[in-house]
Amino acid sequence: MKAKEKPKFNTWQNSFWMLALAWREKEKKVIFLGILSAILTVSLNLTELYVVPVILDTVETRAPLGRLALIIAGFAAALMAIRALSTYITPLEAYGRLTTRFAVFDALNIKASSTSYPNIHDDNFEKLGKKSQSTINHDHAAAQAILYTLRQLVTNVLGFAVYVALMTAIHPLLLLLIFLTTGGAFLLNRKCSEYLHEHREEDQAHNRRLWYLFQKMQDPADAKDIRLFGLQPWMESLYDQLLEAYYLFAGKVQMRLFLAKVGEIVLTFLRNGAAYAVLIYMVLQGRIGVPEFLLSFTAVAGFAAWITGILENVSEVRRYSIELCAVREYLSYPELFKFEEGAALVPEPERLYELKLENVSFRYPGADHDVLKNVNFTLHPGEKVAVVGLNGAGKTTLVKLLCGFLDPTEGRVLLDGRDIREYNRRDYYKLFTAVFQDFSLLAVSIAANVAQSEENIDMARVRDCIDRAGLTAKIESLPEGYDTKLLRSVHFDAVELSGGETQRLMLARALYRNAPVIVLDEPTAALDPIAESEMYGKYHEMTAGRSSVYISHRLASTRFCDRILYIEDAGIAEEGTHEELLARGGRYAALFEVQSRYYREGGMDDEK
Amino acid sequence: MKNKDEKRISFREAFRLNLRMLRILYRNSPRSILSRVIKTGWEALSPYIGIGLSAMIVTELAGNRDPKRLLFLVLLTLGSALIVSLIGAWIHKWYSTVQEVWFFDAQQLFSKKLLSMDYQDIDDTHTHDLLAKIRESRMGNGYGAFNIYYMIPKATTAVCTLLGGIAMTATLFLSPVTDTRYAVLSHPLFTLGVIALMVFIIVAGPWFTNLGQKIIARHTQDWAHGNRMFMHFGFLGYDKKRAADVRMFRQERICVKYNNNKEGFFGSKGTLAKLHAGKLGAYKAASQAISALFTGVAYAYICLKAWAGAFGIGAVTQYAAAITRVAGGVSTLLEVISEIRTNAAFLDVPFEFLDMPNRMYQGTIPVEKRRDNEYEIAFHNVSFKYPGSEDYALKNVNFSFKVGKRLAVVGMNGSGKTTMIKLLCRLYDPTEGVITLNGIDIRKYNYDEYLSVFSVVFQDFKLFDFSLGQNVAAGNTVDEARIRDCLEKAGFGDRLSSLPNGIDTPLGHDYEDGGVELSGGEAQKVALARALCRDAHFIVLDEPTAALDPIAEAEVYARFDSIVGDKTAIYISHRLSSCRFCDEILVFDQGSVVQHGTHDDLLAAAGGKYHELWNAQAQYYV
Repeated sequence: MKAKEKPKFNTWQNSFWMLALAWREKEKKVIFLGILSAILTVSLNLTELYVVPVILDTVETRAPLGRLALIIAGFAAALMAIRALSTYITPLEAYGRLTTRFAVFDALNIKASSTSYPNIHDDNFEKLGKKSQSTINHDHAAAQAILYTLRQLVTNVLGFAVYVALMTAIHPLLLLLIFLTTGGAFLLNRKCSEYLHEHREEDQAHNRRLWYLFQKMQDPADAKDIRLFGLQPWMESLYDQLLEAYYLFAGKVQMRLFLAKVGEIVLTFLRNGAAYAVLIYMVLQGRIGVPEFLLSFTAVAGFAAWITGILENVSEVRRYSIELCAVREYLSYPELFKFEEGAALVPEPERLYELKLENVSFRYPGADHDVLKNVNFTLHPGEKVAVVGLNGAGKTTLVKLLCGFLDPTEGRVLLDGRDIREYNRRDYYKLFTAVFQDFSLLAVSIAANVAQSEENIDMARVRDCIDRAGLTAKIESLPEGYDTKLLRSVHFDAVELSGGETQRLMLARALYRNAPVIVLDEPTAALDPIAESEMYGKYHEMTAGRSSVYISHRLASTRFCDRILYIEDAGIAEEGTHEELLARGGRYAALFEVQSRYYREGGMDDEK
Repeated sequence: MKNKDEKRISFREAFRLNLRMLRILYRNSPRSILSRVIKTGWEALSPYIGIGLSAMIVTELAGNRDPKRLLFLVLLTLGSALIVSLIGAWIHKWYSTVQEVWFFDAQQLFSKKLLSMDYQDIDDTHTHDLLAKIRESRMGNGYGAFNIYYMIPKATTAVCTLLGGIAMTATLFLSPVTDTRYAVLSHPLFTLGVIALMVFIIVAGPWFTNLGQKIIARHTQDWAHGNRMFMHFGFLGYDKKRAADVRMFRQERICVKYNNNKEGFFGSKGTLAKLHAGKLGAYKAASQAISALFTGVAYAYICLKAWAGAFGIGAVTQYAAAITRVAGGVSTLLEVISEIRTNAAFLDVPFEFLDMPNRMYQGTIPVEKRRDNEYEIAFHNVSFKYPGSEDYALKNVNFSFKVGKRLAVVGMNGSGKTTMIKLLCRLYDPTEGVITLNGIDIRKYNYDEYLSVFSVVFQDFKLFDFSLGQNVAAGNTVDEARIRDCLEKAGFGDRLSSLPNGIDTPLGHDYEDGGVELSGGEAQKVALARALCRDAHFIVLDEPTAALDPIAEAEVYARFDSIVGDKTAIYISHRLSSCRFCDEILVFDQGSVVQHGTHDDLLAAAGGKYHELWNAQAQYYV
């Protein structure tokens, strides 16, 4: 933060960008109602400024009663109209700003969901993502607040201009003094706020520690360990300590702001003193009357408020603008893969493809060794291949390369002989259907989760896939059946599926998508042996008529496959059918021996 | 909320409930309440000093214009403003400091309650529903326990403004007019009539506001739901775990529908915006217009009396400034009064949560420290239902077990293995039957002492982002050598020597900087070290190794078995191969112990559960 890097977009550009966005999103009310709001605010200010002096004047000069009544009625009517109108349009304007924020929110999520997969592991991209999120996550965050502040700025400038035009009576020296005192107070405040900016990290550290502990104290997932190891008293006293430390720190920050405030109070004292001196002198000289005295004295404070407002708004808009730079950088973050500019690829129904890894090596950015080294492997059309190996051997990386989530550091991945980097990567993904270890359930209906769309759902096909996954009884027992929503954390009336049921639902989803290649990445890790064995049967069934890649650490679960790749030491150490690999007596056979020893007859006899 | 025919609680009862919550909040954090009261009180009262003094200046200017007296008044006004502002700034400094930590100050009420709660209550969905309701009404309409924090300053402002304002405007109503033609203005009935009109107008404003609030209240649920939808669909793309799925199935296409939906609840053409454009907006505008009308009526009355000679123009400025404050004070007070009622309806949930008793019976008997380590645990006809569940998780479980042995507990997922351990460690008490340690009901032992007999590593064990040493010592003061030794024994020695700050290195980054991410296997080793460090007689391993491949799990179990030495160990796994070294095997099925014996005996019993489990796994190896 110390080295002041010039922001990629300046304040004008970002303000314009947001306003243009509001315009494009058909939220023109943000601009029109904003200007109307500014006019109303200034009008209200003027009405309130004039009301007392004018009626004082009327009373003092003992104008006819009718005139007095008319004046008061006029003011009251003006106040009523302005306040009613401005109250009415305020929320409408606010929803316009909110909806404009949604557009930013949506654009960011689209970028996050569809950016080239390796970007999600790019620290810089992630940092920009976090910064971007902090501009959209609430009403007072930059993306929405900048629009509000711009409106405030218009109000303050308008108010200032009107005052300058109206208050010609105010002595120029007094006007200068107003500028100096408000400007001085503003600068002083900025100076004193620097302490917080300089110690922002300390502030965040306090916050983070407390937040962490706070979360842990109430997270049911941690409750068992906390109780069994008797951590409660320790955590409680740690919390108290952290809270007091944070309080002390906050006190230091506030002390600076207090000093700035003292400066401001003294400057206001001087300004008011001067105003009293000048204005009372003018009254005593007979140059102005008492009502004008009151008007001018109030106007002095009003002037100061407009000026302070302008200074504050400008510095706020600049701050928001800097924050919004992250959003714009995120949205235009360079893509590693080709998308729309790549060659189109339309998977033909019933057609099978050949996928080939040619001299492929892969190393994660910043790592000091290859996860995979010089791998050659062809997935023939319609072939069923299993990938086995111990944890961390590189199985998942191999599959990610095949699916086009990662590009090789060296070598090529070929689809029917053509480098997949030439294709539109989104089209390429259409070739696959998968059950990964981590999956993404959506807060939509069960049917929509299977179809992965809320429109044009082929219900007959959904029912068939649910049936093949063995989930029909469960779904049909639900009151809303296939329309039941998932995720209780989002919908109050959602159903919560068990781990095994979710596993089956993912299977149904994979079946619904009639893709030529199916990928199964250790989908049974959380299941007990009997459920696991049943799932293997289902997988076997569903791979019929497609190419498939099945990852497992349970060596022998993969015997329905045509070929097994045994991964070790960053490469394919052995390959063949289960029988061939056993016959070879190599690493695979040795590993199988260890795993199976216990289960074969007489297993209990052997001593370790 | 939905239930309209819910009986209206009396104001007295509503007031009592809010007051009780105020006391609880005050005890939880006095400064959070006091700073709000003092700050708002000061802010409400201090303007009156300036109003009074500047009225005096105006009077002087309009009258005698005595320069000496003017100088005195100006200096007094400026001086008092200076002092009042300085005191205000000091109070504000205190208030802001408290505000900085307010979230953590206030929220500890709930988090500390959760921390001290019986596990069975924490694990209960009812508790979570309560918490979710508390959170949601806070996020949605703002009512509930913490609304008191906003009502208190409002009430303070109302009371202080009213007191000061009434003191400054009393003479407005009382001073007689000098011009006899307008004597009617001083007539008590006229005065009362004016006051009645003013009160009517003041009350009418909040009445409209209230109508608006009722409309909003009808949408509390939609509000919460709308927010949840955003949290889900708006941030889906950033979740790395979803990344592969999201791309393969193009899930952003579903998100778009919800994220940028003008017709959605919060959208510019949605429910809320429509309400504001319609009835709700009209009510709010009416309420504002009415309060502006009050200003008109008040000014008219003030001017009339001044015009008729009741007081001078200095007093006019004073009354004009003060009376609008009085009106504001009254309407704030009315708001608070109606809020007391509304808020009371949202207090039953936080009270129910905070009043939850610790129900577990806490005995007093110390656990005897036997030299010979002769401990025996026995389950006698133990049955158990999870709170809120109809089904038995355990049914009629009987078995006994001596110290020093190795026990394996096997069975399918959901067969009751983990539940049995939870009962043994008194995370829950049995619904029926008793568990005994050396023949005595475990509930009769001192809870903390009883727990100290056990050391458990659950399948879903949790480490914390504190330092490695703090994790292993679990908050106790343990000397470094012992921590190192335990880590060494658990197989973490090599990794320990590669850590930048040794046992002071934090695990993870959430608590402080400079932490390391442990792999699943490494985390397990630390969890094992923590279990070892707690010198307990019984060590229970509940599949902490599920993420490992079978070979690695078997190795961990075997190595651990040699570390445990003469202590008792209970191993739980669905992988039968992992427990091969155990003396006894307990087979669970559907909440009952169906078999108990040695591996050979159990395998020989064809048709038994063990046999079935065995075959399910063995099919891949034969």
